[in-house]
Amino acid sequence: MSYNGGGDILLGGLSTFNMQHGFVEALVRGYRSGFLSDTDYHHMTQCDNLEDVKMNLQETDYDTFLNSESSITPAVIEAKALSKLVNEFFYFRANAVEPLSTFMDYISYEYMIENVMLLLRGTLSGRNINELIAQCHPLGMFKESTMRNIPSFEANPRGYADLYETVLVDTPVGPYFQTYLEQSSASISAASEVRNVLEEVQIEILKNSLMKLYLEDFYSFCERLGGETAEVMCGLLRARADRAAINITLNSFGTPLNDATMRDTERKKLYPSIGELYPAGTELLSKADDDVKLGQAVSSFPQYHSIFEKFLNSSPEEFSIDDEFYKREVRMYELAFESQMHFGCVYAYVKLKEQEIRNLVWISECILQRRKDQISNFIPVFSTSAEWRAESTRRGAGH
Amino acid sequence: VTFASFDFKMSEYDCTTYYCNAGWKELLSHLSPYSWANWGIAIGLGFSVIGAAWGIWLTGSSLVGAAVKAPRIRSKNLVSVIFCEATAIYGVILAIILLNKVSEPDAKIYTFVEGWDFATFYFAGYGVFWSGCSVGFTNIASGISVGIAGSSCALADAQDESLFVKILIVEIFASALGIFGIIVGIIQSNNAQFPV
Repeated sequence: MSYNGGGDILLGGLSTFNMQHGFVEALVRGYRSGFLSDTDYHHMTQCDNLEDVKMNLQETDYDTFLNSESSITPAVIEAKALSKLVNEFFYFRANAVEPLSTFMDYISYEYMIENVMLLLRGTLSGRNINELIAQCHPLGMFKESTMRNIPSFEANPRGYADLYETVLVDTPVGPYFQTYLEQSSASISAASEVRNVLEEVQIEILKNSLMKLYLEDFYSFCERLGGETAEVMCGLLRARADRAAINITLNSFGTPLNDATMRDTERKKLYPSIGELYPAGTELLSKADDDVKLGQAVSSFPQYHSIFEKFLNSSPEEFSIDDEFYKREVRMYELAFESQMHFGCVYAYVKLKEQEIRNLVWISECILQRRKDQISNFIPVFSTSAEWRAESTRRGAGH
Repeated sequence: VTFASFDFKMSEYDCTTYYCNAGWKELLSHLSPYSWANWGIAIGLGFSVIGAAWGIWLTGSSLVGAAVKAPRIRSKNLVSVIFCEATAIYGVILAIILLNKVSEPDAKIYTFVEGWDFATFYFAGYGVFWSGCSVGFTNIASGISVGIAGSSCALADAQDESLFVKILIVEIFASALGIFGIIVGIIQSNNAQFPV
């Protein structure tokens, strides 16, 4: 697909991009050097306790981020590393102008949706509101008053409508809620006997619907930007949409969402309409009710077919499908840094930093639980020894 | 001294209207070569400076951003800015050369004296104009291209020091475009000299 000239938002190609966005792009690319390298990971895996990990991290870009903490646990490491990412994100955001500022806001909407769902789910299980707010993802914070109001609504369709009208309508995720309510208004007015079944899957459906609407909205925004940004971002978002579709299907096995009646109506509506799998693959996915059928559904898409072959042929201990998807996505995000003068590097930076935080948490957990055999199961970012890099140097001539 | 009239004859063609604007042929051939020449100087200087400024805008923003995490690149990468500046200097040099060719006539009257050298007059006018255009248009291309290459150079240098010299070679080729312009421009305007 050619995106040249597809954009109606003026972004500027090679010769004009730097005028508005050169500074932020250069900042992000400078911060790229702050990722942990292979040697850093190697030193950390040799550590015996978390104090050593903290000392090793002091040599890296993370510097003294743990100095004010008295006790170090994986949760503390995750929280502090996340707050480092958030500081960097808001530093970039402060220097961004349109349309980069809207683009970065879109990145944060995903975390806002996560926070809304966290607050809704948390009240269903009756947890304290302050605890929940402390657990919210810092990139997607609302105003304090908005967040405190969210749990006071019931978790059923009538409750959601009220929640939207009073609280969420002013937030950036309001439009997604509105569309969801419009689309599901048919099922609200219909059978109420099904309501009991629906309630336990209702939250899942709500979360997945919001994510689908968010991804489609972000995708159309990137298409409007046109040029290199559209090419890179649309590729990344398509991969995310496919992962979402496959995960929805996988996670629904064993839940009421997998029933024959629900599959075609409810589950099918959750698949995003962007992505390689749409429409033929999602059609097949909506009929799949176990792993084997899922594997058959994606068999005509080589990139997912290879992942599923491995998944079906190995046991859950040695192969995690999430890891394979993460590896694929890390590779795509690293490639987003390859060409200059587009916004993809900002999005990729946030995602890769998240992966790095996941790695840190994994390594800390393994050290804490003394499971050194599992410790190398993380996915390094910008690693020179990554599998896919090794493939390309083996086949390439003139290296 | 006899004076030629306002509607002088240029070869066989004479103006059919008082202001010589009956068509393009009349208009273009009766535009004063002084105006052609001064336009040329303005275009040569103006577009060169636009190209240089555009290039500095492109490379400067990347340089400042990349230097946040890698301050060591600050001084080395100013060379990209200097290359951009060089295109502006070409424009200034050519403008000074050209304006020395535009000499004021001795007789301060608004008609032409008897025996005015129209051939040299027109040659000089066109020569200076198009020489200015040569330089202006090549320098704007050169300035932008140095700017883009310089921005990539700053970003690459911030990640890996050994890349700086290699990308600098790309910039050198880009700034050679400006040199082509000024060489051709000087040769074009060599024999142009306004009669007095």
